[in-house]
Amino acid sequence: MTTPLTSATMPDGPTEAIIRVEDVHKRYGDVLAVDGVSFEVRRGEIFGLLGPNGAGKTTTVEMLEGLRKPDRGRLTVLGVDVARHPDRLKPRIGVQLQTAALFPLLSVEELIDLFASFYRRARPTSELIDALDLGEKRRSKVRDLSGGQQQRLSVALALVNEPEIVFLDEPTTGMDPAARRSLWGLVTGLRERGTTILLTTHYMEEAEILCNRLAIMDHGRIMEVGTVAELVGRRFQDRAVHVGGLSGLGRDRLEALSGVRGVAVEGDEAILYTRDVPGTIAAVLAAAEASGVEPTDLLVRRPTLEDVFLDLTGRALRD
Amino acid sequence: MRSLWMLTLANYRSFVRDRAALFWTLAFPVIFVVLFGTIFSGSEAPEYRIGWVDRDGTPAATQLRDAVTATTILVPTDVTDDAAAEAAMRDGDLDGIVVVPSGLGEAFAAGSAGGEVEPIALLVTTDPSRQTASAAIGQTLAGVAGAVNLQLSGGRPVLVVEGRAIQADELNGASYFVPSILAMALMQLGVFAAIPLVALREKLVLKRLAATPLSRGTLVGGNVTVRLLIAAVQTVIIVGLGVLAFQVVIVGGPLAVAFLVVLGAVTFIALGYVIASFTKTEEAANGVTQFVQLPMMFLSGIFFPLELLPEWLRGLALLMPLTYLGDALRQVMVGGVPFMPLPVDVAVLAGWLVGCVAISARYFRWQ
Repeated sequence: MTTPLTSATMPDGPTEAIIRVEDVHKRYGDVLAVDGVSFEVRRGEIFGLLGPNGAGKTTTVEMLEGLRKPDRGRLTVLGVDVARHPDRLKPRIGVQLQTAALFPLLSVEELIDLFASFYRRARPTSELIDALDLGEKRRSKVRDLSGGQQQRLSVALALVNEPEIVFLDEPTTGMDPAARRSLWGLVTGLRERGTTILLTTHYMEEAEILCNRLAIMDHGRIMEVGTVAELVGRRFQDRAVHVGGLSGLGRDRLEALSGVRGVAVEGDEAILYTRDVPGTIAAVLAAAEASGVEPTDLLVRRPTLEDVFLDLTGRALRD
Repeated sequence: MRSLWMLTLANYRSFVRDRAALFWTLAFPVIFVVLFGTIFSGSEAPEYRIGWVDRDGTPAATQLRDAVTATTILVPTDVTDDAAAEAAMRDGDLDGIVVVPSGLGEAFAAGSAGGEVEPIALLVTTDPSRQTASAAIGQTLAGVAGAVNLQLSGGRPVLVVEGRAIQADELNGASYFVPSILAMALMQLGVFAAIPLVALREKLVLKRLAATPLSRGTLVGGNVTVRLLIAAVQTVIIVGLGVLAFQVVIVGGPLAVAFLVVLGAVTFIALGYVIASFTKTEEAANGVTQFVQLPMMFLSGIFFPLELLPEWLRGLALLMPLTYLGDALRQVMVGGVPFMPLPVDVAVLAGWLVGCVAISARYFRWQ
């Protein structure tokens, strides 16, 4: 079991901790949904909770939103003790629940107007409709929307009050690839406006593209916290260097090259595992030059989160 | 305040876009009024000539005669001699006879002074074989008596109506059904509130709302406000239909009627919240709602008077809040014969309201 890594915070600085979770536990009957979770989210970052279904991500997020009370531990959001004063927090956060749940007989426009009325200040409805690309559906009833459209609507509702922190629980589930990319763009845009975002996901690609930092969660525990590069780098020091057109060079010669710790040959392409990428590339090029072979492709790849997750939990994230 | 208005609007839109809800709250009671109104009111002209025997002779008796004339359903003709009046009735020149007993003026004076009064009875003779005429005369007079009592003594019986035909035929007529069906409609409006509420909770809409600054009070407020507006619409439709199509005479003042409509609606909405407190799924809420509303509909004196129920069923009826709302509305709206004194009806309803609110506050779950 690795200890969660939380870096030191600088109050009021750009990396001030805006969300602080300290040793939080939550049990439902016999199930320990959250088992001693601690992490911090800094102002202005996109923080991801990555893990399979049932890992405790949603329970953690709902405790941060003030919807559930922890059995033990402390949650501080925007300086507010969430369990004690959820009402002080609610005007300042935006929430998208995992199961999009809305008034089925209201139209998109009516629903956004309704939610806007709950807050002192709200973004114009038309602006939100445009931002979430719901223009054609503005007068459609919620129950007539597709799953992806309902999902976009519930993201729109999370943004109604220009929140300082937005919680997105599996925001792209049910979306087609185009809608997913457009939502990623929106989330990135929010960060650029200074909004902090905490999202849960079980999509590796989403975590890699969006999150500044993320926590890998499984069985109610945080396995590891860091940037994608840190998480992967901590487990896998090697890089994979793919070189094409080297078939004439011979496996033995490749294995003898500087820094190479392993070699895989797939047809015309050789994959060299190394901790010294520049040294290895220089050695490959020199060897090719000496043998009169011309390399065609060159690709340096690092191990993915998928590899990290597999290594941490012993199982694949995706089915 | 703005969120209360927007929530009310959202609830209103959800309601009018839900065809089933519209049917049960508006069309269903209207169908009953039309059905019973048509069955129990014949095709006879709604104007009856009655012989008026005044044995009192005080100005109070004259005022009472004017009040009867003002109904436009009864046309009093002064007669001095009982025998002559009966002869005229047998000849078909009169539809009924009303005898005003001496002592009426005194009783009215005492009643309005607030003292204890032995109720004084108008003696009414009608022809039981002419059902519609008997019923119309009896009910119109009962209505007038009810209005007089309300004005004189706030509803304590000073003036009552006596006569065989009236008691026996109380059941027959739209006057009985209009307030009864209004009570039924208010009951259904209230307890059916449980179903959308449970649906919103089941679909996690309530949970989503809990993540906003919206207070639970405002949430409930929006829900209750829209139901009260619908109750007002129901009242106007049902009463309007009774008055215009079936010659029902409303004797109660609008304020008294409005008070009972609001009290009844709020009490049954609270009962709806109790149902929602103990059901998890929309289907379960549906079933429990029917289980609660059907016995009330049939045993609370809506379709037939409580006097006709066997003893043990009447005991059951006494447990049901609808019994008291129906009784109160009949007394106030058409001067119906009281099953319970009006203050008892109001007190029982208020008791149910307080009890239901307390139970909901304790057991209702938002997620």
